[in-house]
Amino acid sequence: MLLLGCGGCALKPVTYHSLPDQTPAADNAAALQRERDLEAAQAAAAARARSEGAEARRPITPAEAPSLRTYDPLSRLNRFSYRFNTRFDRLVFLPAANAYRRIPHPLQAGVHHFFGNLSEIDSVINYTLQGRLGRGVRSLGRFVINSTVGIGGLFEVAERLRLPNRPTGFATTLAKWGMHPGAYVVIPFYGPSSTREAIGLVADYGTLYAINPIDLYRGTQSWGLGVVNAVDQRAHVDFEYYATGSPFEYEMIRFLYVRKLLIEDSALHPTPKTNSELPAGE
Amino acid sequence: MNLALVALVLASMASAARAGDLAATPLPVAPGPPTGLAGPAALRETVFGPRPEDIAPLPARVPLLELNVRTAWHRPLPAVFWFDARLRAWLSPQQHPAPLVIVIAGTGGSGNSDKVTTLRGALYGAGFHVLTLPSPTFPGFIAAASSTGIAGDLLQDGEDLYATLTEILAHLPPRMQVTDVDIIGYSLGGANAAIVKSIDSQEQRLHLHRAVMINPPVSLFDSVGRLDKLYAITLGNGDAGVERFYQRLYAELANLYRASDRSVLDEDFLLGAAASVLTTDREFAAAIALSFRLDLVNMFFAGDLYSGAGVVVDPRHPPKVGDSLEEIGIELRSMPFSAYFERVFAPYYLKHRAGSTVSSLIAQNRLSVIGDTLAKDGNYFAQTNRDDLILDEEELAWLERTLGRRIVVYEQGGHLGNLGERRQIEDLLEMLAGRWPGGSS
Repeated sequence: MLLLGCGGCALKPVTYHSLPDQTPAADNAAALQRERDLEAAQAAAAARARSEGAEARRPITPAEAPSLRTYDPLSRLNRFSYRFNTRFDRLVFLPAANAYRRIPHPLQAGVHHFFGNLSEIDSVINYTLQGRLGRGVRSLGRFVINSTVGIGGLFEVAERLRLPNRPTGFATTLAKWGMHPGAYVVIPFYGPSSTREAIGLVADYGTLYAINPIDLYRGTQSWGLGVVNAVDQRAHVDFEYYATGSPFEYEMIRFLYVRKLLIEDSALHPTPKTNSELPAGE
Repeated sequence: MNLALVALVLASMASAARAGDLAATPLPVAPGPPTGLAGPAALRETVFGPRPEDIAPLPARVPLLELNVRTAWHRPLPAVFWFDARLRAWLSPQQHPAPLVIVIAGTGGSGNSDKVTTLRGALYGAGFHVLTLPSPTFPGFIAAASSTGIAGDLLQDGEDLYATLTEILAHLPPRMQVTDVDIIGYSLGGANAAIVKSIDSQEQRLHLHRAVMINPPVSLFDSVGRLDKLYAITLGNGDAGVERFYQRLYAELANLYRASDRSVLDEDFLLGAAASVLTTDREFAAAIALSFRLDLVNMFFAGDLYSGAGVVVDPRHPPKVGDSLEEIGIELRSMPFSAYFERVFAPYYLKHRAGSTVSSLIAQNRLSVIGDTLAKDGNYFAQTNRDDLILDEEELAWLERTLGRRIVVYEQGGHLGNLGERRQIEDLLEMLAGRWPGGSS
């Protein structure tokens, strides 16, 4: 029946799909708040720089920027995965995320905070492995407050107590230990990644599986929770495959994603590594 | 047989004459400074757009339907455009009878870009149904709705838009009650909107009432030519200038991020950092020129593919799904619009538009092609800025002379830098409501 219905749609000159409502007033208010937060963050950063003094980070110079080309030795396989992800996203993932976006916002927020709170466990472990004990204590504090006052993580209380959410994972730990991102990888279902990020993903999931908080990661309920978590994460990603309409989108996303990783890596080391000599190209 | 041979020889001579015409008269260099009427402040306004606190009041919620349009006239889809089989448009219907506003995006823009979203919100909040479409230069439109695959011709793009809109309006949701139909567009979309309305005055299938052009060009090729000059001055030829610009932006962004307390580089950070990354007039100008050049890459690639011109794509061996397009993108990035005109656009239209010459093609891509209509029909309006970088003094003067009281020229805003601001939206709504002085009621 579904196939027949879809076959009918394919012949109509114009078909309609209902999307979640846009919220322009709230979006503009968020943009205004972002400007104000930026001013405060820049003032805080300037104060930090003054207090760091001699230990201040050496700035990155333009000559240290990575090549315009991206290291993509798995290009053909990655392009196949990108096409697969496009189709999967259009047919399954995005419709599920759009349906999820229609449920009342407090319920969505509760689900999002619940899974975010669970990931604090991984953040505590990884900040410790990275030697960033201050951040580890902050993540632990967030987990305790949100799990108790926030009723099992359903409510984000810690942020209001000036403990902002700063998640981390094993990929960042590997970066802190000096591992470069490696080759660009497009993971089926998941999207753009790298060999290092892929290792990190497996390790992060393995950590939570091993700890198994409140028995959520074993048994049949774990599949359902996994699906809900995936849909919740997808609903919070403002991206649509080929919304650019451009056949060069694969190259563009690859370019932006890898530079995002390298910029994030640069914040982990006081003396930045020179990225201009990294392998590049397909 | 002899007659057929003579006809063949004559036809090839005519074609050679037009090609010779092209060789003898390539695209003229655009007059005036590369930044048009824009000064340093206008360049910044063009890049940043309006401040959130200056935006017109917007509604809390806007319903959204995505339309997938299957056109009967689009050309066979090249393999690399496999994802663009249907044109995407967006509709926000009211629950009560209301006029419909059609919004056409600017050069390379989708029908759901940030600028379109702002206009959609403001118009929906004012009580209109809103239908938004991508620019005919958007690759998704070229693949799914262009009858030629060679974008950038005002008349042809207008025809394709008109046919697409006719199809869409014939299939609106049955419960949607439309009392009137207007059309607006920004930048090139503004010129497209005016052309579509002029077509409708003959065809009478859409019954378009009013058209508003927001920051339109007057001469397409002169405006684009200026952006080519801007690119050449700020980024040079070849990829070296782009690389230097990228390296500087990368370092700036990385240092800003390193000074922040963030653990993830997300959209919030990028939007906030944008204000600090570009600092000099040259950098703002380079960002504008590069942004336009990247839109041109898509258009040039599609045009080369569809026309078989062989500029970057071997027509005998076009790229297949899964092939890398990196080298093609790098090559196209170095090619100005004049190369697109001379190697793809003009050869195609000289061959397919009877009696055309290079000069006539250029003339047909000026708003003056509907100058009489703009001057005499009280249902055409425009909004622009005195420091718009796509115009020179003569072009602005032409708009003011032609439209008289039906144009409002704001003292500042650059190119679209004030799109969505309170006054711009209030004036737009007055124009659409028939309350603007000098307009027809």
